[in-house]
This record gives sequence, structure tokens and C-alpha cells, in this order.
Amino acid sequence: MNGYFKRKAEEYRALDQADRRRYWIDGLLNNALYILMAVFIVLTAILNKNFLSASSVSNIITLAAASLPMALGIGGCIVLTGTDLSGGRVFGLTAAMAAAFLQNRMATKLIFEHLPNTSGAWIIAVLLIVMLVGAAIGLVNGFFVAKFSLHPFIVTLATQLITYGIILMFFQINGNGGGPISNVAQQFKDVVSGPAIRIASKNVSIPWYVVYAFALVLIMWFVWNKTTFGKNMFAVGSNAEAARVSGVNVFRTTVLVHTLAGALYGFAGYVEAARLGSITAATGLNNECDAIAACVIGGVSFVGGTGNIGGIVVGVFVLRIIFVALNMLGINPNLQFIIKGGIILAACSLDMRKYLAKK
Amino acid sequence: MAEDKTGPAGGGAGPLGRPGGLYDGVKLSRKSADLLAVCSIGLLVALFVIVLLLSDGFTVTFDARGGSDVPAVRELAYGDMLPAVAEPTREGYVFTGWYRDPDCGEQWDMHTDTVTEDITLYAGWESAP
Repeated sequence: MNGYFKRKAEEYRALDQADRRRYWIDGLLNNALYILMAVFIVLTAILNKNFLSASSVSNIITLAAASLPMALGIGGCIVLTGTDLSGGRVFGLTAAMAAAFLQNRMATKLIFEHLPNTSGAWIIAVLLIVMLVGAAIGLVNGFFVAKFSLHPFIVTLATQLITYGIILMFFQINGNGGGPISNVAQQFKDVVSGPAIRIASKNVSIPWYVVYAFALVLIMWFVWNKTTFGKNMFAVGSNAEAARVSGVNVFRTTVLVHTLAGALYGFAGYVEAARLGSITAATGLNNECDAIAACVIGGVSFVGGTGNIGGIVVGVFVLRIIFVALNMLGINPNLQFIIKGGIILAACSLDMRKYLAKK
Repeated sequence: MAEDKTGPAGGGAGPLGRPGGLYDGVKLSRKSADLLAVCSIGLLVALFVIVLLLSDGFTVTFDARGGSDVPAVRELAYGDMLPAVAEPTREGYVFTGWYRDPDCGEQWDMHTDTVTEDITLYAGWESAP
């Protein structure tokens, strides 16, 4: 570590006046977003002492864990230089399905009347069903992108609308008339959002889905770094033509990345059903924007072929901390969309500048 | 066109995986790129400032449910306790407290509960003996 800094210092001393100036400008601009957010977080901590309390920290952790699966899915699409705009709606559809399949059988208003009683096997079966539904939509995305060379922005925009139509139809089933799907079975809530760790003295608890999200991070780290599929994904992302020449199946890799992303949205939707206990047709709206912003903040570049799981986790946490801070400062949730838009614009501008400066 | 070769038959990813990715073919001088970065960060800072100026804290509104009107309490900060408000009155009923839901399931405890979002509280009524 010491040697690293020594070497850096020597490199710096070797630079001439103009290069030194460039060094500082580059450093400042490349990290501008982190600096800005650090300033904002320190400011919030000074203005509101609750920000660093145990309940606020556990709140940030649980919110981050709920939005992690989606960011992990979209990260792969961005590595391929694409994106996935259908994510939020797939999340909404799978959340609605999970809630409808796992309603309390004793409830008076049921979406589906003939379903198995809530049991461990059925809870797991529903997880598999919603992940398969998500994966199927991802497969459609991936197929059109890879087979017909359509840009993912277009394909996923189309599937976003198609999925929304399906969501609206789903909420009409059995005379539901578009109302929320609630009365989620308690056993389902217990295994997903029930407390895994409880600190009684601080009156805070960490739900099970934080543990699941942690496991998912480990799995995705393995997939990205240790499997042939992961290596192919990075090869296709940095240069598809070169990857094809060196024997990578570009078609299969692209389809698989989108399918995996879809399955992860399914997982996220499943968790959301247990977490909220009541799902509306608007659930998941614009969630993909949060996930994209988190990935870009975390260093998954639209240049393609760069990014890592650790960066995505950091990005998700930074974004959640900002939104919890905004809430603590008493800012209306409606206004938070304005900040989200600003963050995406700034993150992508800095990402592009980094690429152009390197060129 | 180089892309034609990677069309359906070639199995290439088309718009994906070009060197440069989304920024492939962007012609921007280094100076302009710096300017872009400064502008976008400036915009973000401006948005933060505007949002902070526009925010007026949390509002707690009261639904007296047939009783006398109770004015809303505004400009509360996160974690604030609700200041004492005048109890509503209603002919033939006794006020039992403020509740988080219209069904009067969960009562708002004035001494321990804190405000963390905009919220409406509902008056609880019991028939007078």
C-alpha cells in the first residue's frame, strides 16, 4: 500500500505543469458525483441527528436490499452497452402475481379461488413461477436484440408497454376491477420480510430478504467473474465482433444476459409482494431508472465491457442513502424524481467524459 | 456497412458491443467533454438547491370525521413529535384520540410517535353515555 502511494507520488512529480493541471481536473471531474454526494450526506447528518441513528441505518440497509436484485440484473444489460427499460414493469407484474398466488386463503376477496393452501412448497413454487415469468419476458427482449439487431432501448421500451398492458389486465381478474391486491399470507411474509436479526435494545430488525440479497450478490459475483458466461458477457460488451471471431456465441450470451435480468426482476417482485403486502398496478413504475442510475454511479459504463458487482452494490447504497436523506430533510417524494433525473444525467455525462478523455 | 455482416445470419449483437458502446462515434473535443461534465454537475447541484428551497417539511392533516375542524400542522421535520393540537368536538360523542387509519385500529401516541412522512390522522369517536 505504501509502495503504491510512493509510486503515484513519483509519477506525479514527473508530470509537467500542463499535465499536473489535467491530473487534478480529471480527478475532480471523475469523482465529482461522489464528492457532491459526500457533501450532501454530511450536510444531512449535521441538519438531522436522526440520520445516523440505528433505525435509519437499518432502514437504508433494507431499502438497498430490496432494490439490489434489479440493479444486479440491469448491470449485465449495461455491460453489453444496452439497457433494459422494461425492468420496472416486469417487477410490477411479478409482484402482483406473487401477491395474487400467495393471498391468505381465508380472505374474502381472492384473485384466484382455486389455489393450493399456503405451504412451504407452494411459497417456493411461486418464487420459481414469477422468476420464470420474468425470465420469459427477458428472453423476448434478448431474442429481438440479439437476433434482429434492434437496439435494446427500443425493444425493451416495447416490452415495457406490453407488460404494462398485461399488468392492467391482471388487475381485472375475478372482478377485482383494478383495485390493489392485498391480504398476502402471513407465512409468506414471515419467510421473506420477517425479521432475521433483531436488536431489541435499539428497536430495529433486519428482515430475511436482506440475507437473500446478500446471497444473490455472492451468486452474481460468481457468475460474472468465475463462469464462462460471465467472461463471454464482458467480451461481447467490449467488442462483439472480436468476441464472435474468437468463438464466443454472441447470440446466446446476449439472450442469456437479458433472461437472467428478467429472472432477477422476478425475484425482486416476489420480495416486494411480501415487503409491501399490497400491490397496485403502479408498483414498479420507473424502478428501472433507479437501477440504471445505481449501476452507472457504481462504475458500470455504457462504454461496455466494464463494471463489477461491488460497484453496483456501492451504487445502490449511495442512491438509497441520498433518498433517505432527502426524506429526512422533509422533501416531498414527488420532488425526488427531479433529483433522480439529475443524477442519471450527471452520471452518464461523467461516464461519457471519462471515455472521451481516455480516447 | 460493417453491421450487415453481423445481422441475423452472423448472429452478432448489432447495436451492442461496438467499441465505445453507447458513445461510439461521439465527436466531442476534450474541452467540450469537460464543459459537459461541469454543466451536468452544475445542473444537479442547482436541482438539489431548488428542491431544498421548495420543500416545506411534512404536513400532518386531521380528518375529524364529523367533528369540528382541526387545522393541519405544517413544516414538521423528520423525527419531530406532533405538537399538542386542540381536540375536536362532536355532538353526542366522546373523542377517543387520533388514529393512523379510518378504522381506528392503530392509535397515534402523542408522546412517542414521530412524523416521518406526510400523514393524515383520523379522529376516533365513541357514543356519549
